[in-house]
Amino acid sequence: MSYVEIDEPGERVLLMGNEAIARGALEAGVDFCSGYPGNPASEILEALARAAKKFDFYVEWSVNEIVALETAGAAAFTGLRALTAMKNLGADVCADFLMTVNLSGTRGGFVLVTGDDPSAHSTTSELDTRNYARFAEIPLLEPATTQEAKDMTKWAFDLSQELGVICMVRTVTRLSHSRGVVTLGPIKRDKRSAEFSSQDVWTSGSSTIECMFHSILHEKLKRAQEKFEESKFNWYVGKEDADFIIITSGTGWPYSLEAVKLMELENEVGILKLGTTWPLPEKLVASHLKHAKEVLFVEETDPFLEQNVKILAAELAAEGVGPIKFYGKKSNHIRGEYGAGTGELNVDIVIRALTETKKATYPLREKEYSEKAQKLLGSYVPARSMGFCAGCPHRASFWAIKKAAKWDGREAIVTGDIGCYSLGLLPTGFSVAKTLHCMGAGIGTANAFGNLKDFGLDKPVIAIAGDSTFYHACMPALVNARWNGSNILFVVLDNNTTAMTGHQPHPGTGVNAMGDSSPRILIEDICKAVGAEVRVCDPFDLDEAVQNLYEMLQNEGVKVMIFRHECPLAFPEEKKARVYVDQDRCLGDECGCVRFCTRVFGCPGNIWDYEKGKAKIDEVICNGCGLCAKLCPVEAIIVEEVA
Amino acid sequence: MSSVVAKGPRDLQKNVLAKGLCSACGACTNLCPYIDMVKGRAVLIEPCGLSEGKCHDFCPRAYIDVPSLDKLIFGSYRKDLALGSNISVTKARAKDSEIKSSAQYGGVVSALITYALETGEINAAVLAKSQDSISAEPIIARNRKEVLECAGSKYIVCPTVTGVLEAMKQEKSKIGVVGTPCQITAVRKMQASNFEIEADKKGLLIGLFCTWAVSPDAYNYIRELVGPAKVTKLDVPPPPANIFVIQTEAKKIEVPLDEVRKFIMPACNVCFDMTNEFADISVGTVEGEEDWNTVIVRTKEGERILQGAIDAGVIETKPLEKARFDHLCEASLTRKKRVLTETEAEKMAYLTIREEDKSKIVS
Repeated sequence: MSYVEIDEPGERVLLMGNEAIARGALEAGVDFCSGYPGNPASEILEALARAAKKFDFYVEWSVNEIVALETAGAAAFTGLRALTAMKNLGADVCADFLMTVNLSGTRGGFVLVTGDDPSAHSTTSELDTRNYARFAEIPLLEPATTQEAKDMTKWAFDLSQELGVICMVRTVTRLSHSRGVVTLGPIKRDKRSAEFSSQDVWTSGSSTIECMFHSILHEKLKRAQEKFEESKFNWYVGKEDADFIIITSGTGWPYSLEAVKLMELENEVGILKLGTTWPLPEKLVASHLKHAKEVLFVEETDPFLEQNVKILAAELAAEGVGPIKFYGKKSNHIRGEYGAGTGELNVDIVIRALTETKKATYPLREKEYSEKAQKLLGSYVPARSMGFCAGCPHRASFWAIKKAAKWDGREAIVTGDIGCYSLGLLPTGFSVAKTLHCMGAGIGTANAFGNLKDFGLDKPVIAIAGDSTFYHACMPALVNARWNGSNILFVVLDNNTTAMTGHQPHPGTGVNAMGDSSPRILIEDICKAVGAEVRVCDPFDLDEAVQNLYEMLQNEGVKVMIFRHECPLAFPEEKKARVYVDQDRCLGDECGCVRFCTRVFGCPGNIWDYEKGKAKIDEVICNGCGLCAKLCPVEAIIVEEVA
Repeated sequence: MSSVVAKGPRDLQKNVLAKGLCSACGACTNLCPYIDMVKGRAVLIEPCGLSEGKCHDFCPRAYIDVPSLDKLIFGSYRKDLALGSNISVTKARAKDSEIKSSAQYGGVVSALITYALETGEINAAVLAKSQDSISAEPIIARNRKEVLECAGSKYIVCPTVTGVLEAMKQEKSKIGVVGTPCQITAVRKMQASNFEIEADKKGLLIGLFCTWAVSPDAYNYIRELVGPAKVTKLDVPPPPANIFVIQTEAKKIEVPLDEVRKFIMPACNVCFDMTNEFADISVGTVEGEEDWNTVIVRTKEGERILQGAIDAGVIETKPLEKARFDHLCEASLTRKKRVLTETEAEKMAYLTIREEDKSKIVS
C-alpha cells in the first residue's frame, strides 16, 4: 500500500512531492477531485484516484482543465471540499472559469494545484502560474519542501473555506518529482453532503454586481494577508538585521540555503523564505527591507517576488526605507543558459549570483576535474534527439503521412499538437510536422492554412492530434473547419490511451480514473456527426494507410483519418513476435538503401552491428510490430510469430 | 562526347522530377525505399544521401548518350538518321487467328513474344496488362494465355520497367520486354551501366513505335465519357482523322484527338525517338492497313528470332511500300527536327547526339 494512504499520524515516510500534495488533500478530507494529465502534476490525481474508493471520495479525469475546474468548482459550491490539479499550461485552459469563480466565491474549500516546469523539460512553455494568482487575486502558497507540499495543501482547504474563495498551491517539477521525508498527519474523513438550495446563486455577476463582488474579493485578499503575516510557512534565517538578504520562495529555498552554506556566508547573509507569496505579507517583508541594503531574489521562473517586493519598496521609500540595491532577474544575476528569467534554478546559479554580487570567489569545481568531465561528456554521452518507443504506431503514422504528402507533391503543410506525437517535428517523426503550440492548436491553426486560397496559399493541409487531445481541445476547431469551409485533412492518432503523461484513460478508452468501466465515445462518431469524410485505418497496414491518405488529400472539405493502434507499452502483447535480421539477406552497406532501417526509420530496436557491417534487431527493446520488416527493400528482416 | 556523369537522386530530382520530365518508365522505382511511382510520375520520398545511384543512371530523361548506346548495341554509330540502326524494314502480321483478334493491329508483338516463350528463347516477358482496357500495370507473363491478356495498345503510361526489375530478381535467365522508346532505352542503360545489375539477362527487347502517351489523369476523362460501360478497345486512327476512338461493348465513341492531347505527358514533348531505336525489333502501325504492322529489325538477335518465327509459320511478311517507308522516315525526322529546334535547350540537355548528325537532321 502506498504511503499516501496509511493511517499512521506521526509516521515519517518518503513521499514524492505530488504524493505529498495528495496526502495533504486526504488529510484535509477532500471530497471531489478533478484534473487533466499533465507533467509535472499527473501523479497528484493518480494518487488520489488510487485512494478514492478506500476513503470514499470522488476522483475524475476530466476532458480538459477548464471542465476539471468547473466540476470541482461546482462541488465546492455545494459545500464539498474540492481539488483540481493540472500542469502550468492547464491554468491557461481554465483561466476563463478561474477569473469568474474567484468573484463568485465558493462555499467548500476549493484548491487549485498547478505544476510548473522551469526549463520546460517536458512541456511547451515554462510559464509561471504564480502570475495567475495575482491576476485572479486569490491566495497563493508555494511549498519549498515535500513536507510543505503536504501541509500547505491541507491548510489551503481551511483557508479557502474560511475566506470563501479558491486558493492556489503552486509546485514545480523538481519538487513534484523528487522525494522527501514527510511526517504524516491524521487522515480526516468528515461526512459532508452536497447542497444546492433554492436560494443559492453562484455568479461573478456583471456591471455593478461584478464590481461589488470584485471589492469583496479584495476584502478576502486582505484577510488572507493578515493570516499570512503570522504564517509558519514564512521564516527568516541567518544574520539578524543583515545588510545582504536573499528573498526566496519554493525550490529557491533549498538552493539558497545550500549556496549560502557552501560559501560559508551563514553569518553574513540573511534568507527570508516566503511560503505565502500572494498577497505578500507586507509587514513581514517590510521588517526585513528596513535593515537590508542589498536584496537578492531567488525564485523560479519569473521575477514574481522580485517585482512585487520592489513595488512594496517603492511604497516604503516615502517612509525612509532604502535605498536598496535589488539583484535578481532584472539585474541579470540570476540567469539560466539562455538568459535571466528562463530555465530552471540550481545551486550553481545561486552561487554565481552571490559571487558576482558580493564580489566573492567560489570555485564551483576544480578546474582539472571540470575539463576532464567536459571531455568525457562528449565521448560517452552523445546528444540525442527524442524518439518514439520501439513499436510505436506513431512511427508508422508519420511515415505514412510523409509518403502520402510526397506522393501528393504539393508540399502539404502539416500541423502538430501535444502528446507523444509532438515528436513528429523531430527526425524520429521524419520531421513531418511543422508547427507545435498548445492542445488543439494543430487543427486550430490548420483551419486557416486550409482557408487562405484567396490569398494565394493553396497547399494541402494535414492537421494531427492524438486521441486524448481530440476530446480535450479539437472538437470546436473541427466544427469550425466545417462551418467556415476550411479544406483540411485531420489525422487522429488513436492509441487508446493518454500516453505522454503516463497512460491515463480518456473518453474513448472505456474506463475512467477510478478504474470503472465507462461508455466509449467514439471519435469517428463525433467526426461523422460534424459531417466530415471519415476513414479508419491501422497505420501498420502501411500501404493501405498511404493509399487512403493520398486519396483523401485529393478531396475537398473536412476529412478525418483515424489511425488506430494501441500503444504497445500501455497494452503489451502477451507474446511478442520475434524479429531478427537474416544476416545473409541483409546486404549491409552494399545494399544501396544507405542503412534505411537504422538511419531513416530509426526505431530504437533497429541497430547496426559494426563488426559484421549489417543491420540487427535489439530483441530486448523490439516490440515485435514488424514495420521495419515491411520496409526493408531486400526483405532481410524476418518476423516470427510466437505460438 | 559522352555525357555520362555519375549522379544521384538529388540530380534526378532537380533535372528530371522537378521539371516534370518523368516519363513514368519505372526504371528508378523498385530499386530502394526512397522512390515511389505514383500516378504517372516517380516521387522521391527522401534523398538517400548517395551522390551516385542507379536511379539517375537508368533514367531515360536524366541522360541518353545516343552514340554510346549505338556502339554498345549495334557495334557502330548509326547510318540511318531517320530510323536509327536497322537491318531491315518490313510489313508483318500474325497468322494465328486468336492472336489477330486480340491484337490492336497486326498482332506481331503478341506473336513474337508467344513464340519466344514457347521456344524457350525467353523464360518470362514483361508486358503491360489492362483489366479495364484503359489503365495498365506491368506483369510478368510466362505463357501464351498470359501474353494474350496483354494484347492491345495502351495509351495511359504504364511503368513497365518496374516489372523488368522485378523479373530480374526472380528469373535466372532470359527475359523479354515490350516497351515504349523511353522504357527500352532505360533497359539498355541498365545493360550499359557500371552498376552491378544482372541485366545480362536480356533476351528480347521489342520496342513499340510511340508518338506520345497520356498521364493517368486521362482515366477520369475517358471514364466520364463511357460511364460504367466496359471499354473494349482504345485507338488513334491514322491522320487525317484526328480523333480518339473509345470502343465499348455497346457503342463506339469518337472525340477530337486534341481533347486527349491535353493529357500528353510533358516527358513525351522532349522525346527524340519515335521508332524505338534501341530495341531488337521495333513494331508499329501501317497507316491505312489495320491488320498489318511495320516491323524494323535492328539487331542480329532480333533478326534471328523474327526469322525463326517466320519459319515456324507464326508470322508472315510482305515488303513495305516505298511510299509508306518514306512517310515513316519523314515522320520520324520531323519529330527529331522539332525536338532539336523548337524545344528549350534546357529540357533537351539530357540528350547527347553526334554534332554531325544533329546538323544533318536540322537542315
